[in-house]
Amino acid sequence: MKYDAVVIGAGANGLVTAHYLARAGKRILVVEQRPAADPAADIGWIPEVVIRDLGLSGAGLRIYEPDPWISAPLPGAGALELSRDMARSTEAIRRISPADAAKWPEFCGRMRTLAGVLERLYLASPPDIESNDARELARIAAVGLYVRRLGKQTVIDLARILPMSIAELLDDWFESDVLKGLLGALGVWHLKQGPRSGGTAFNFLHHHAGCREGVFRPARSNVTQALSNVSGVEVRRGERAAVLAKNGRATGVVLEKSGEAILAPLVVSSADPRATLQPIAFELDPEFAHAVDNIKARGVVARGTLALGSTPPYATFCIAPSLEYLERAYDDAKYGRDSAAPYVEVQRTDSRVELHVQYVAPGAHGDLLQRVAGVLNVQPNHVQLQAAEQSLYHGELTLDQILFMRPVPGWSRYRTPIEGLYLCGSGTHPGGGIPGAAGRNAAREIL
Amino acid sequence: MKQYDAIVIGGGHNGLVTAAYLARAKKSVVVLERRPRVGGAAVTEEIFPGFKFTMFSYVVSLLRPEIIRDLDLPRHGLHILPLESTVTPMENGDYLAAWGDHDETRRELYRHSPRDAEAYDEYGRLMHFMAQAVKPILGMVPPDPTSFAPGDLAGLLKLGKHFRSLGGERLHALVKLMTMSSADFLDEWFETDVLKATKSASGIIGTFLGPRSPGTAYVLLHHYMGELDGVFRAWGFAKGGTGAVSDSIAAAARSFGAEIRCNAGVSKVLVRNGHATGVALENGDEITARTVVSSLDPRRTFLQLLESDQLPPEFVQDIKRFKFRGSSGKVNLALDALPSFTCMPGIGRQHRGAFSISPSVDYVERAYDDAKYGEFSRRPYMDIVFPSMIDPGMAPPGKHVMSIFVQYAPYNLNGGWTDAKREAFGDAVVNTVESFAPGFKSLIRHRQVITPLDIERITGLSEGNIFAGELALHQLFFLRPAPGWAKFATPVRGFYQCGSGTHPGGGIMGASGRLAAMRILKDGT
Repeated sequence: MKYDAVVIGAGANGLVTAHYLARAGKRILVVEQRPAADPAADIGWIPEVVIRDLGLSGAGLRIYEPDPWISAPLPGAGALELSRDMARSTEAIRRISPADAAKWPEFCGRMRTLAGVLERLYLASPPDIESNDARELARIAAVGLYVRRLGKQTVIDLARILPMSIAELLDDWFESDVLKGLLGALGVWHLKQGPRSGGTAFNFLHHHAGCREGVFRPARSNVTQALSNVSGVEVRRGERAAVLAKNGRATGVVLEKSGEAILAPLVVSSADPRATLQPIAFELDPEFAHAVDNIKARGVVARGTLALGSTPPYATFCIAPSLEYLERAYDDAKYGRDSAAPYVEVQRTDSRVELHVQYVAPGAHGDLLQRVAGVLNVQPNHVQLQAAEQSLYHGELTLDQILFMRPVPGWSRYRTPIEGLYLCGSGTHPGGGIPGAAGRNAAREIL
Repeated sequence: MKQYDAIVIGGGHNGLVTAAYLARAKKSVVVLERRPRVGGAAVTEEIFPGFKFTMFSYVVSLLRPEIIRDLDLPRHGLHILPLESTVTPMENGDYLAAWGDHDETRRELYRHSPRDAEAYDEYGRLMHFMAQAVKPILGMVPPDPTSFAPGDLAGLLKLGKHFRSLGGERLHALVKLMTMSSADFLDEWFETDVLKATKSASGIIGTFLGPRSPGTAYVLLHHYMGELDGVFRAWGFAKGGTGAVSDSIAAAARSFGAEIRCNAGVSKVLVRNGHATGVALENGDEITARTVVSSLDPRRTFLQLLESDQLPPEFVQDIKRFKFRGSSGKVNLALDALPSFTCMPGIGRQHRGAFSISPSVDYVERAYDDAKYGEFSRRPYMDIVFPSMIDPGMAPPGKHVMSIFVQYAPYNLNGGWTDAKREAFGDAVVNTVESFAPGFKSLIRHRQVITPLDIERITGLSEGNIFAGELALHQLFFLRPAPGWAKFATPVRGFYQCGSGTHPGGGIMGASGRLAAMRILKDGT
């Protein structure tokens, strides 16, 4: 056999796994269906350890840290602009609400501490609560002890806040609709939930992981490009691969276009767990196959680009003027419609202006383009949109689909019932928005 | 003046349970009830001549069997009559029915979906097991995970062991039940929309959440709890209404020597040197005792009965943050005759059970949408029973009483509740029933409409929340009612809490009252 392992998908997680395996001396082939990397997918925290281990800084990694990190229109005129500098943000908030400004630094500090707990959990395989292994139990105890050392308030915050709705959390702290709207949007980011749904406070903290204190939007980068620049793995693009399995063992992959079979004793898929496993369902036990079918991965976001004559004067522009606006946008999605007034966020990088539109329903999208253009006050022909049927994260980040429940309960350690077949994508722990974390954890399990 | 061992403030079922247990342990106890009768929200009243109503609550299912045993309630008049069935009328004129007879239910489900009929048994088995797994938690004092006290560490360890003993699959099911929405959870099991709607509707009772809101799934378990112990079926009526439950607990308490005083509203708890010494009544009298126990909800217990300078400021903040948001109303009707429903015409055994107005998940979710934005549901979710069909003593011969539990009716209605709004709400309820049972309106002789504001006014329950505080995940267990104070003690020595606002809370369960009594006896009064 020519390869020790085939990795399906050349997104950030697939490439990270591939590079870690290659560093351990394995011959790796990565198969990717897209002809080129998708820069729009490079959102989120890239763990420092991944950057260091794979030498990404030397490979041209750039992390965009716009300042101010967000602008949101104020009723009437002007905008609320929040900066990386705490004092400047506080000052900006003071102009709309002195009470909120007074609480802002403490809020940011508390959220940072909680996100820090998540970061620690995310850089390792999820705790195996069923295990009787002394080492695993010691590891769980160590996490418990670490959290307790952070103090009583943190323990209470974790228990109280994680199951909360982002609306309840924000209502506890703030009064300004604009502030709550732009923060609340992160709580429902890529989720088929509204800000009043329980667990959205967790989604908020998840996306705060890796961010600096006081910044509540995941960073954008060129991580996939940087990973492609690192040598050591072979990548074949423009080919869609499916897993080959026989008698409960992975034997390689088959390329769908050419029908070519590439044999390898190890297959690692960074693709959607459902897309990976459903074609070989006949090899799976029915309970496991049922659990895979039950993964919730409903797409609610349309991504796109905005073509304007000039560069917009902001880095990130958020249209979610209040929690109620977001909740009403979600109401439409509940009944299978696109939001009449969607949450729209414009994000500018060096080369392009991207759009995040939420909520969109599966199927035809009627006049969504006009609605988005209307919300942004631009001509519809400047807007390009593409709605995803499936969640970008291969599984919604709800409390029942995280940690030892991800991708399916009891199979959170990147393994599958098929020997030699592993998962390493954002459908696995710790999930989407953290390029490379799942990939690194998976590689460590494999090795 | 007589010095008591303990004063219990409030004669609701939890207060009575605490009093009964304390009296059983030979303590001198007095229960002080503001209203002319005991029962709190579990009262039966003759609202119209000859027509008796269980005014607020309506069915009994969760009363802890150990309480029934310990207090020998059947001897004191408790008699539970089974509720035989649930019929859900559908918008297309069809229905879904669950009968007392398991095989019949299965056949009925089969008519809607053979696949669901198959899944139903497995679902039932899992839920039975899960209910059993949760039961010990309801009966334990929640350990405080922020404390390093040996008792708390031991409690946490015990809890960890308990969860691990469930085994993988069931532990995962428990996580799902605790975190998912009932609609999503049921989607994993069933395909028939009306089945999912009816089951998920039971997950939203008393909450300010919709069937698609995460956190509603675990209430599905409640339906499987009563049944377990073989004491009675999952849902039932108390003969004489739920007031009879309160009366039987009161009778038990008296038999152990407890004194119960009605028309005795408490205005303040007396505190000296950080220690409770007694209470001041609304009429100015003072009663002293070594221990004072409040069965009122946390807001009234701490923010009304005490002065805020008697409590630590962060604790006061936590209590102020504790959420109530009452969302349910009740319509009580005196009828000349029973209504006939389009889906199952005529009068028959279906009237001995419940009618659930939950024709689809979207229907219930839309009812929630109205409430979310501050309106009562134009077409609400309703749980309808005819108590006079099961206990003929509730209405004059040939006549009937109809109890309609309604959701949603938000406490904070846009513009506030007025008499006109109350009647408009009553009209929405009656008109919705009429659409499933034409001719029903002409049978109504008297109508009583109860909004959450009315519940608050009459029973005192803050914001009319029937559980004395929302049963949301972040208000349960060691967080109920506030972190660090979930073990029935309070920051004021000698002052305890025993109402539904403490762990485990909610439903006519009595568990809070029992656990509080245990704690008080352990501390020694």
